Amino acid sequence: MSEYEPKLVCFSCKFGWGYLSDEDALSRQIKNWIPIICSGKIDATHVVDAFKKGADGVLILGCPEGECHYQDGNFEAMKRVHLLQKVLGAFGIEEERVRIELSIDPEGKRIPQLVKEMSDDIKKLGPLGNSEIEGGA
Amino acid sequence: MTLKNWGRWEIAKLREVHKMANKPKVAICWLGSCGGCDETVVDLNEALLQVADAIDIVIWPVAMDFKYHHIEEMKDGEILLSIINGHVRNSEQEEIAKLLRRKSQLVLAFGACACFGGTPGLANFRTKEDIFNWVYRDAPTVVNPNGIYPQPKVQIDGNELTLPEFYERVYALNQVIDVDFYLPGCPPPPDLVANAINAVLEDKLPRKGSTLAPHKPLCDTCPRNGTKPERLAIKDIKRVHEVEADPNTCFLAQGILCLGPAIRTGCGEACININIPCRGCFGPVEGVADCGAKFVSSLASILDAEGEREVKEVVDTIDDLAGYLYRFTLPISNLKRRNKDG
Repeated sequence: MSEYEPKLVCFSCKFGWGYLSDEDALSRQIKNWIPIICSGKIDATHVVDAFKKGADGVLILGCPEGECHYQDGNFEAMKRVHLLQKVLGAFGIEEERVRIELSIDPEGKRIPQLVKEMSDDIKKLGPLGNSEIEGGA
Repeated sequence: MTLKNWGRWEIAKLREVHKMANKPKVAICWLGSCGGCDETVVDLNEALLQVADAIDIVIWPVAMDFKYHHIEEMKDGEILLSIINGHVRNSEQEEIAKLLRRKSQLVLAFGACACFGGTPGLANFRTKEDIFNWVYRDAPTVVNPNGIYPQPKVQIDGNELTLPEFYERVYALNQVIDVDFYLPGCPPPPDLVANAINAVLEDKLPRKGSTLAPHKPLCDTCPRNGTKPERLAIKDIKRVHEVEADPNTCFLAQGILCLGPAIRTGCGEACININIPCRGCFGPVEGVADCGAKFVSSLASILDAEGEREVKEVVDTIDDLAGYLYRFTLPISNLKRRNKDG
């Protein structure tokens, strides 16, 4: 378990995160980094899909509250995250596996750092796996 | 030519087509089912007699006396259509599903349980062990001092008695066998049942894997759609028993959870018409795999809260959100239960 490296997916809004960075260089540093236009684009089904396809955690980086280019996409994303966290709880999935950070970082230097922090936290939770036992059928 | 308009002439013609003695064979069978889906077939009323004239029913446990070995003795593919309702949770249900699949050219998953696992699928929030402990040990009405649990095999006086094995989880039909068509609903309404049977008999079926129901979400056909404000914004969420819902106003506009935006229509708005919000028995709208997650996004967009703290407060007030979102579809959800011990 000590060697276990969590699989993380990071969505970040291009309006607030890393727009001054060298995206190619940054994407080599961060596995499964998906820059998007507005965090409000991230539907709960995208997060659930990521889990289904093997992610142990999903990090969403949006613009600071009140500063969304499209009025309130970041706030919409935040509401989804809180509702989804509640749903995940019923499945025994820890809410820490979905995180949203509303802030700004044009050079994107904090992105690898935030991914690392979340990854360290998820390491303690262990892999999400698909532990529903497939009995019979 | 629709079923309801069939007269003697049409039936005679159909008979001719199938050469009388060679009427298409149809199986109607239940697995883990309450019987409501069979009841909806009976609800075809007089049309059922026409159907029964045009086809040869080879098994229908709830209504007619046939034995499974009659099916086993048939040739593979001899049955034109198997209409299977109910979920799969034990080895007997699995065996029957596989037997009917082998003997049938077409399989129709009939009703919410066969299509998505249905309400019994909510049991997937618990382990088999939890369920057995409650049912055979912990429930207040249980007296079981010797801690006897059902076993698949037991020896009594030198004889072996067997029971079907209870599986770890509930399965939708397509998680056990290949399914050709789906007709959701709890139960499916008779008009869609008649359309489905007509489509098979007249060979007018859509492509394999299709759901024989409209593609639109329930909101599109809801009689209350016109009362929906331009921008829905709800400050708090109420449960249907906590308020007296206005019988003509959009449930979401009243702050009552209604799955209409994420659920396929076709049900005839049966629940809406008796002032009950949509619980989702028609499953996800076309193109959506996980209607629970989809509804999370939909609900988030109409939550009218200021700031993160207020959002959390509203979310905290919702009881059993996951149970509501996946009331009929938990076994096909993209999320799977995580055991605490990993």
